Amino acid sequence: MSHDYKMVQWNPFKKRFVVWMVSGIALYLTSFVALTYATQPPGNSLTPIQAMIRATGTLAFLMLSFILCIGPVARFTHRFRPFLYNRRHIGVATFLVALVHGGLVLLWYHGFSDTNALVSLFISNPQYDSISGFPFEVLGFIALIIMFLMAATSHDFWNANLGPGVWKALHMGVYIAYGLLVAHIALGILQFEKRPIFFLILGAGAATVVALHLISSIASLRLSDRIGHEGWLRVAEVDEIEDSRAKIIRPVDGDAIAVFRDGDRIAAVSNICRHQGGPLGEGKVVDGCITCPWHGFQYRMEDGQSPPPFTEKIATYATRILDGVVYVNPKPNAPGTPQAPSDIGASS
Amino acid sequence: MSDDDFFIGWAKTPQIDRRFMMAAGLSVITGTTAVGIGVAARQRPVGPGTWNMGDVREWRGIATSEPYGMLRTLDLDGTERTALLGCQGKCGVSAKIGALAGKPVVVKGSLIQRGPHAMIAVIDGMDWIREDPTGNVTGLAFPEPEVLMDVTLNGEILDTKCWFGAMRPAQGKTHKSCASLCIRGGIPPAFFVRDRKDQTALMIMTSGGYGHNKDLLPYVADPVSITGKVQRLGDILLLDAPVSAITRL
Repeated sequence: MSHDYKMVQWNPFKKRFVVWMVSGIALYLTSFVALTYATQPPGNSLTPIQAMIRATGTLAFLMLSFILCIGPVARFTHRFRPFLYNRRHIGVATFLVALVHGGLVLLWYHGFSDTNALVSLFISNPQYDSISGFPFEVLGFIALIIMFLMAATSHDFWNANLGPGVWKALHMGVYIAYGLLVAHIALGILQFEKRPIFFLILGAGAATVVALHLISSIASLRLSDRIGHEGWLRVAEVDEIEDSRAKIIRPVDGDAIAVFRDGDRIAAVSNICRHQGGPLGEGKVVDGCITCPWHGFQYRMEDGQSPPPFTEKIATYATRILDGVVYVNPKPNAPGTPQAPSDIGASS
Repeated sequence: MSDDDFFIGWAKTPQIDRRFMMAAGLSVITGTTAVGIGVAARQRPVGPGTWNMGDVREWRGIATSEPYGMLRTLDLDGTERTALLGCQGKCGVSAKIGALAGKPVVVKGSLIQRGPHAMIAVIDGMDWIREDPTGNVTGLAFPEPEVLMDVTLNGEILDTKCWFGAMRPAQGKTHKSCASLCIRGGIPPAFFVRDRKDQTALMIMTSGGYGHNKDLLPYVADPVSITGKVQRLGDILLLDAPVSAITRL
């Protein structure tokens, strides 16, 4: 958590994950270049740099597609949360792969000339008024800039100092970058390589990302508003809330609320983790603290504060139990405000 | 879900998550690599051009600067052949030939070659060309262009240096910016055509007997139609047409 800032808060799991990821990247690049040469007569294949441009370009697209699938899939199966926990590592690695791609393109296609390579990027193809002729390199360049901003601000230092709202909004730019990347491919290499497999891969990748987000959004909408009692929202019967778990309530106005049960105690907090906006209601009470399923940030049930030395705070909500039914007041307390949990034993 | 299988990144990873990540990690890596192999194996053939940059040699012959920097020489294969001249980067050298045009010279550089097409990428600096007063130039003088026919052809304008072997691939939209830079810098442009029987031809582009330059840039690497005269200049073909005779398809 965030009482101090290190470049990477390494732990054994992260180290193993990064070793696997880097090995996978090396395997992909090696296989791509080897197959490029193995399937063409000598002297008829791509130059080594152009082979690497294609290898890194295709890999960056596949990695970004996978990153965008992690969130929705993790909503359906919590087994995917380890990927979510390491998503920023994949994101930074994807930026680096894309940076190699862009750097080689600048060097190879726009270098070795009196014209500045970055100037060449914008002027060498002036068909900005055409769709099929559009200078696709510019789209990739803008996507790379967005990915750089995201990689550079992926550290918790920026999350804490920009604030979760600004940070989240900035990182939603990944969807703009992905759209630009799809256009970059469609208006670039697919204008040259016209075999069906290339269109199939691009279409399948983009369609999977869009479909998973749509399905995930529809699934979360099923958690609709509850009929209230004197302005309070009905959550569930006490027995319907699994011990150490939560029910998520979505008021008409305001943020979603996570109502947790820990033994005989019922407490409600904001469903949004202060760290990266993770869904706290999908987490668990561990050692008396509500624990975020994304990165393990923790908050005390009674006041929404992270245990010392951590300093994060989230909003708390009043709860009450009537006739075995849990209700929550949808008006939030200020983050970190003490709010005594309801006692199941006292209400029975 | 048991108490032990809630994944927390900073805590001990539950056994079930370790097993899942092992299987999922292998699946993701294998699947992604399989896609990469599928893409790599199905790429278009890009042509047989080669450029052995490390093999710098001296080439003797007659130089000219019009329509482009060229050397007529016996050193390619013992017959009278024409090699275009270019610099190491994306620039031509015709302006640097100056008073040596029409004289026997020695040119220093490496060969870029694709089938019968050849270019010499001259070394950097000032001593890439020198007069060769003792050179045997019998029969090497550039002939007058011979008009073969009037034509209207569909094809693609590209730069000769990349297409001869400096790059592979050296055609199409992904290479457009590079081709534009080359032609802007003075590399001779060429018109590449392919007929329905998959026969191909490459003609060096001229206009009124002079070289094209930036005027061609709006049409580089796009499908275009050109109406002009095909000419023979020794062992190479020229397509002489003004830029006004080019239409985008």
